Amino acid sequence: MKHQHLFTTVIAGLLGTGALLLSCSKSDNSTSGPGDPPATTSDTVLVNLGTNIILPSYQRLATSTATLDAAATAFTAGASSATLSTVQAAFKDAYKAWAACSEFEFGPAADRFLSTHFTNSFPTDTAIIKSNVGGASYSIDGLANFAAQGFPALDYLLFAYGNDNTLARFTTNGNAAGAKQYLTAITASIKTKAAAVADAWSPSGGNYLDKFVKATGVDAGSSLSLLANSYVQDFDVNLQNYKMGIPIGIYGPNTLPKSPTKVEGYYSGLSDALLLAQVQAFQAIYQGGLDDKVAASKAQYGAGSLNDAINSQLSNLITKMQGLPEPLSTGIQNNAATISSAFTEIRKMTVLLKVDMSSALGIKISFQDDDGD
Amino acid sequence: MAISSGYFTRYRHIAPLAMLRACFGAVLFVSTIRFIAKGWVYDFYIAPKFHFPFLGFEWLHPAAPAFMYVIYGTMALAALGICLGLFYRICSITFFICFAYAALLDKTYYLNHYYLVTIFSLLLLLTPAHRYFSLDVLRKPSLKITKVPAWTIFVFKCQLGIIYVCAGLSKLTSDWCIKAMPLKIWLPAKADVPLIGPLLKYEATAYLFSWAGALFDLSIVFLLSNKPTRKAGYLLVISFHLLTAMLFQIGMFPYLMMSATLIFFSEDFHKRSIHFFQGLFKQNAITNDEDLCLPVKKLHQQWVPVVLALYFIIQLALPFRFLLYPGNLLWTEEGYRFSWRVMLMEKGGTSFFYVKNPQTRKKFEVNNRSFLTAYQERMMETQPDMMLQYAHLLKQQYQLKGIANPEVTVESYVTLNGSGSRLYIDSTVNLANQQETLFGHKKWILPYQGKSPQQ
Repeated sequence: MKHQHLFTTVIAGLLGTGALLLSCSKSDNSTSGPGDPPATTSDTVLVNLGTNIILPSYQRLATSTATLDAAATAFTAGASSATLSTVQAAFKDAYKAWAACSEFEFGPAADRFLSTHFTNSFPTDTAIIKSNVGGASYSIDGLANFAAQGFPALDYLLFAYGNDNTLARFTTNGNAAGAKQYLTAITASIKTKAAAVADAWSPSGGNYLDKFVKATGVDAGSSLSLLANSYVQDFDVNLQNYKMGIPIGIYGPNTLPKSPTKVEGYYSGLSDALLLAQVQAFQAIYQGGLDDKVAASKAQYGAGSLNDAINSQLSNLITKMQGLPEPLSTGIQNNAATISSAFTEIRKMTVLLKVDMSSALGIKISFQDDDGD
Repeated sequence: MAISSGYFTRYRHIAPLAMLRACFGAVLFVSTIRFIAKGWVYDFYIAPKFHFPFLGFEWLHPAAPAFMYVIYGTMALAALGICLGLFYRICSITFFICFAYAALLDKTYYLNHYYLVTIFSLLLLLTPAHRYFSLDVLRKPSLKITKVPAWTIFVFKCQLGIIYVCAGLSKLTSDWCIKAMPLKIWLPAKADVPLIGPLLKYEATAYLFSWAGALFDLSIVFLLSNKPTRKAGYLLVISFHLLTAMLFQIGMFPYLMMSATLIFFSEDFHKRSIHFFQGLFKQNAITNDEDLCLPVKKLHQQWVPVVLALYFIIQLALPFRFLLYPGNLLWTEEGYRFSWRVMLMEKGGTSFFYVKNPQTRKKFEVNNRSFLTAYQERMMETQPDMMLQYAHLLKQQYQLKGIANPEVTVESYVTLNGSGSRLYIDSTVNLANQQETLFGHKKWILPYQGKSPQQ
């Protein structure tokens, strides 16, 4: 009987505290501004990330790929060194805008195939490109064509042969018509996909933003879980493995020790700028609210807080990326020490994001919707 | 205090056992259907190229894809058979074999509640739970009995007692009680949960839940065992498990426990529920339950206490086998499984495996994903015995690729309960040459130091 009393008291106490705190937090909510989305069903971090980072990143990508497509069309209509240099500049802008979007491969981007697989598979397959330019029939977004489209294919088409020869390939060469058609087919495809994704996020369009801010929590399928999984995957696989690991030859045993031609943006030599843009995007996303959540978890790292450790590693990494030899492909051959010290910092960052950050946020890094216990 | 063997063999009414069979069977059925519907048969047993079998069960392999579905389909039917008490003997044996087979195929998917299902279905198949309130009795009225030896009910209570008390004891650590970890990490992340969500961001809530959880686990079987506290106890069972169902992604575990703990209710309670239920189906509720005792052989009667004693000694010993190993249990996970350690840690890791060809002295990194699924990789990265299995797998795979004696090392980082990632495994040790032993400590696991990660 004693137990029963004890427990009735405990339960009553629990319910009582619950009701009390619930009413307190309700009054907190009512102080939020009139312009905010309803605060009861959303997470301010998600609101900030969605509204101020993800949506603007896609809008920038949509704008810059539209500019790119227009420049490509102008170039194919009247090829000259001036129009070539305009389209090359537009390409660099759009590619850098992509580096700030590859972190969000879920929701609209996944649905509309604006993924790394279709947009940024490198090294690009020059054999397929040559055959497509030479008149083979192709479907630009076809499954078989993924390695011959997106930014890496443009990188090849616009930079691989130097400016004079490139101009010739679009004017006097026998396959000039095919080259023009292929170039604009790619820019149009990227433009269409980027516009569709930007529209799908936008409150005036598909308003995925609303869904994003309301899918709270950290279970499989929650926005934070989708975002963190995509974010970490982009860092771990795309940045660490593809942009650095493979070119410097850490995977084997059948690849050559080093494969500098496998860097991202090989022909334009844009590798360093893209790496920098991507790490800066990682920093912006982290500081867009993930930092608050990590700080709130009070997770530790060494003598200090995990949040400090991640922030300082992000700035370390930015410094490293700024100091990379240009172009990266030559640096890999001639400047092994700088590159391998950059890779060490990338690896430290991977561990911090994949292990410590996700653990502090209570998110499982894995795409499996599984049970725990 | 000596309990005479009569305590186990005296006759009790069968109603609690029959009810347990029906309810637990229903949860098993739903759980199997859910498993199939989520596509896990494919994800867990067909998609992976390699598996992590349990020590001693390396000879078990997943069946051909179509046959895996047949096994799960059979399992679902068998669970239904258990629930309805139809062809119970066959169904209970079939369910146990299929379930245990699947559970033993790959450590990746080990969950305490799969272990619970395995041993509960084993215990169920040993009892005559189908001889009352079942289709078998309708089919063949001569099967009906109303009284069973007390041990058939007692085993479930005792098993549940071990589960809860061990779960409670495992929470009496400084991480759980003093640091409120890992709930301090998990609860604030659930601030979106209706009603109690806003409470979860407070540190005090994590402490409250930690302490209340430990207290619940330690005391619940005693509350359920005594009549005066039973109802309050079961209310606690329901609220505790529903709360965990709401807060954590733990699948069917809460419902398994809610149905299993029904065994603690009195036979009168179960008789009344069964009569009520039979009334719904317009069956003539059997009001005059004349005594029909399960005939028991003399030999049986002598052996039952011995077998039970052996079984429960093992059950009691398993959760304490961790004492055989040095170091922090949560860190090394030596003696962690089969011990009712539930929700104790937030552990994450990542690992970079290297293979070196000793002839050419060339060393390269392995892409784990070309051998493992994301799920297998994630589980492997925090569990040393799985890392060792993976290292052996790599050795074998690269031998096939022509490296005679590949050396396998790993650079592995793990964080435990938000303490900061640090090197987990001695990265100079060639794991390809290390062996798994039954109770041997893995010396290549770097010791856990409470505070100082690397750097």
